Amino acid sequence: MIVHSLRLRHFRAHNDSRMTFAPKVNVLHGQNGAGKTNILEAIHYLCLSKSFLTTQDRLVLRVGAPFFELTGAFGGQRRSAVEVRLHFDPKKGKHLFTNGAPIERVADHVGMLPVVSFEPGDITITAGMPGERRRFVNNILCQAKPAYLEALTRYRRVLRQRNRLLMMAKRQGAAPDKATLASWDDALVQHGSRVIGIRAQFLTDFASFLHDAYRHLAAMEKNPAMSYSGSVSAARSWKVGAIEQAFRKQLAAAVKREHARGQTLVGPHRDEVKLTVDGLELRRYGSQGQHRTFGIAIKLAQYFYLNDRLGEPPVLLLDDVCDSLDSRRAEALLLLLQSDLVGQSLITAAGLETIRRFVPFEAGPNQRLRVHAGAVSVPDA
Amino acid sequence: MRYSSESIESLVEQFSRLPTIGRKSAQRLVAHVLKMTKEDVERFAKALLAVKERVKRCSICQNVTDDVPCALCRSDKRDQGLVCVVAESNDILALERTGEYVGVYHVLGGVISPLDGIGPDDLRIRELIQRLGPDAKHVIREVILAVNPTVEGDTTAFYLAQLLTPFGVQVTRLARGLPVGSDLSFSDEATLTRALAGRGPL
Repeated sequence: MIVHSLRLRHFRAHNDSRMTFAPKVNVLHGQNGAGKTNILEAIHYLCLSKSFLTTQDRLVLRVGAPFFELTGAFGGQRRSAVEVRLHFDPKKGKHLFTNGAPIERVADHVGMLPVVSFEPGDITITAGMPGERRRFVNNILCQAKPAYLEALTRYRRVLRQRNRLLMMAKRQGAAPDKATLASWDDALVQHGSRVIGIRAQFLTDFASFLHDAYRHLAAMEKNPAMSYSGSVSAARSWKVGAIEQAFRKQLAAAVKREHARGQTLVGPHRDEVKLTVDGLELRRYGSQGQHRTFGIAIKLAQYFYLNDRLGEPPVLLLDDVCDSLDSRRAEALLLLLQSDLVGQSLITAAGLETIRRFVPFEAGPNQRLRVHAGAVSVPDA
Repeated sequence: MRYSSESIESLVEQFSRLPTIGRKSAQRLVAHVLKMTKEDVERFAKALLAVKERVKRCSICQNVTDDVPCALCRSDKRDQGLVCVVAESNDILALERTGEYVGVYHVLGGVISPLDGIGPDDLRIRELIQRLGPDAKHVIREVILAVNPTVEGDTTAFYLAQLLTPFGVQVTRLARGLPVGSDLSFSDEATLTRALAGRGPL
């Protein structure tokens, strides 16, 4: 997929900016705070209806503006030519339109315009709490498998209902009604097992893409790995039937603790995705450099995975990526972006020194855009 | 803006307590009432009161009715051994429109939802069990669970299935899948996935 053009109105630093993009590498350069990252964020918004930086829409609204509006022209194999418009008004909420027609369900839109983003805050994926890694996996699977989004949405709803039931019983100092709890247990196991099954299958499939990404980045380490571990990891196989059986068993074993705590203690909402390089757990033993390499490799792997599953290259959004890598890996990455393996990419940078050495802008499929104080211009060559 | 008339203000207030009616819609309705003849308004007010005074709940199926038991539960044209369990009275209207269903109904009055503070005791489940008991007038062969396929609906169905099976009654559920007359390519993936999982022989 390719983003041809973009317009940002009242969005963060931008009052009204319009720009067009080249089919391969697009470099956005300018000082910090000029509004480079905002442009990547806007594309992310149009593809997935949300930011990669915040969950609160009103935070991206330009100070004092009554609304923000993003418009992007996209082209690709899934949607040949589509104009996506996102309008947000703090009073009326967020509305998405494709070619002028309103989108009723955001879930129908997610995955139509595949996108992969990397930003420096993504370091939390490798270094942060388990929730960050679950979120990473969720983000990929929601784009790649609509059935996963459905299972996850239902699982979360069941979880909230079941937690409320347990909490109410705890407050009343009694055990929850057996038959009612058993009904929620069944729903929890049913949807939770689907979530676990899809996640586990995904990690198996993802391994080879992660290996490839490491190779492309010319990393020293040879053996990066992601494995599923968690409350229901006792399952001998990742068949849904086996997971359900293990899930029921774990749930039965946790009854007393769950009643005492008043919340659900078993299930995919507590599971962990363990990252290792050459056999050592990254979160505990990884160096800064290893974290950075893994952080970018995991995003590249996501890119290759989605490309493979969806049959079309996502748009790759890289925020300040060169600062996160040493010069050898930065070079490897910049050459990769220009190869046939990657489609369109947008990359932000404060300075052009590193990038200019490896990416030719004079003619052809690459482009650089200067961003200054919320305005975008094409500099003379 | 507030009206200078207290009675208008109070009617706006009452209308806006209705579901889906905001203050602006309420003001529009009041403006209309002011244009109505006194006779029309009286008829309207009487109809409102009559609903509260005359409508009762059927002692058998718990549906709203003027006469107890309701016409469906008294009818000898309906199969009294086949009971379709629905969440709300309005669901009966939808099923009756098909003209295909010959059995009778049972209205639960909602679904199990701890987040809304609704447990099994808040639903008319006890009344359903009574219909299966030894004192019941009709022998029930089959109970169809026709609750919405939401998380709460599914859980309520599971709860009822646990409860009803020991009575030796057949418990079934509405099929889920593709809407009739729809185009495969326009169906959302979740519906298609379920339709695939629940496919049947020709």
